[in-house]
Amino acid sequence: MICEHCKQRHASVTVTTVQNGQTVEKHYCDHCASKFHPFQTEIQEEPVALHQLISNWFGVPMWKNAQTEEKKTTQNACPSCGFTYRQFLKQGKFGCAECYSTFREQLPPVLSRLQAGTKHTGKSVAVSVEQLKQKIEEIRQQMQYAIEEERFEDAAKMRDEIKSIQHKLDAGGVDV
Amino acid sequence: MNIEHFLKQAPKCMMGNGEDSDIVMTTRIRLARNMANTRFPLSFSQQEANEVQEKLMKALLMPQEQLNFSYFRMADLSPLERQLLVEKHLISPYLAKHKEVAAVFLSGDESTSVMVNEEDHVRIQVLSAGLQLMETYERASELDDRLGKQVSYAYDEQFGYLTSCPTNVGTGLRASIMMHLPALTMSKQMNVLIQMMTRLGMVVRGIYGEGSENLGNIYQISNQVTLGKSEREILDELQKVVEQIIEKERNARKKLLERAHVTLDDRVNRALGTLRYARVLTSEEAATCLSNVRLGVDLKLIQGISPSSLNECVMFIQPGFVQQYAGTVLDAVDRDIYRAKYVQEKLGEDRLTTGEKGEETYDV
Ligand SMILES: [Zn+2]
Ligand SMILES: [Zn+2]
Repeated sequence: MICEHCKQRHASVTVTTVQNGQTVEKHYCDHCASKFHPFQTEIQEEPVALHQLISNWFGVPMWKNAQTEEKKTTQNACPSCGFTYRQFLKQGKFGCAECYSTFREQLPPVLSRLQAGTKHTGKSVAVSVEQLKQKIEEIRQQMQYAIEEERFEDAAKMRDEIKSIQHKLDAGGVDV
Repeated sequence: MNIEHFLKQAPKCMMGNGEDSDIVMTTRIRLARNMANTRFPLSFSQQEANEVQEKLMKALLMPQEQLNFSYFRMADLSPLERQLLVEKHLISPYLAKHKEVAAVFLSGDESTSVMVNEEDHVRIQVLSAGLQLMETYERASELDDRLGKQVSYAYDEQFGYLTSCPTNVGTGLRASIMMHLPALTMSKQMNVLIQMMTRLGMVVRGIYGEGSENLGNIYQISNQVTLGKSEREILDELQKVVEQIIEKERNARKKLLERAHVTLDDRVNRALGTLRYARVLTSEEAATCLSNVRLGVDLKLIQGISPSSLNECVMFIQPGFVQQYAGTVLDAVDRDIYRAKYVQEKLGEDRLTTGEKGEETYDV
């Protein structure tokens, strides 16, 4: 079999990717297979742009495929860091955590090419002291409203909730 | 502790005799984390960078946590000091380069480092000798839990721990095993094995960084996937691959001994001769000879050299350490001269203390 990318050398590596839940097999020569490897984005000084990686993967430039998509997404900039989706493709990196929410819809196809899936199944995050304090502050405010509106039963519930969070806080935060 | 403490010797954690330490040199676990509501280092402001540093100092230097970290801002270190930390694998080259924003917390035994404002706000790294994936991960994870209670991490129900690069998102876990594979390299099996490992979702590269793919026959094998698998799955898969490679290396060594005993004996002893008597040593030649001598020691073709001295040499033949040894900045030519001098001294020490030190069991 001939390499699907350079169409010159003998294909000796089979790369299996999952796309929209379907397993797709691609055949490459040693040379091309090593170039696609996503770790190159990590070790090179100037990272191989992710769009390059993705378009290499299909042998066609990404935005020739998705011109309409591009128009829509270039206007869509992350409110916190100003990154556009196009910028993300170019750099292969996100500017901030909010990028993940901003581009949530577009990410699964990208991630499924780099990763084993698109859903985190590992360790979940601990609740920090900071977050617990914030939560107490929020409930305290709601409790204030409840008291003003004479919903005393609600207010009592909120007071108990604050107490239980305060308890967790004294224990130094807890896992979810 | 001051920075000198961290620059003199090879990390103690690299000198131990962990499991399979004749083939596996070290296990390294890295967890990438970011703070909530702060932009990633790629796009944050100097002020945000300082805030990240301050928050982490509060969390990690708290006396009640008893973590006993020493803290260094990259900007406060000299270029050589930064380079030495990189050569010891205590920090990444990326961290050393972004000195205006970056800092590091180091544990006294050098097994744990927390890099601040690398590509992500937080990179927890734990190093151990030999093959100890689970144990090393547990230590990193425990520190992660403690830190996660002090500061709020950027986390998403769907995508897990959020990182600047999508190749780290999810668990943020990169587990790396550093292996010495001379027999597989000599018998030209590595290319096929690297392909196999790549297909299994592993990343393989050399230890002295890019472009040095198999200098000294040392390879670093890590997981590629961080999302869609749990930490345990990732570690189990890497463990299985590494165990297979260990077995293949042992078989290849056995075959070399059976089929080419004299050639092998000659090669490893010539390498020892070079290390002992050369007056000029390039890093490539030093790395190759150290690899051969190490193989000779493992196969009991060479006596009286301790594996830990060789491990130390592997680290100390790097340019930064050679210059520290010389006590001055050197050009490449002079570095080769001082490198030869250092190696001779180090291996000479062993000859004086010959005996128990060189005894290491190697079960075929
Ligand atoms: Zn090809
Ligand atoms: Zn953003």
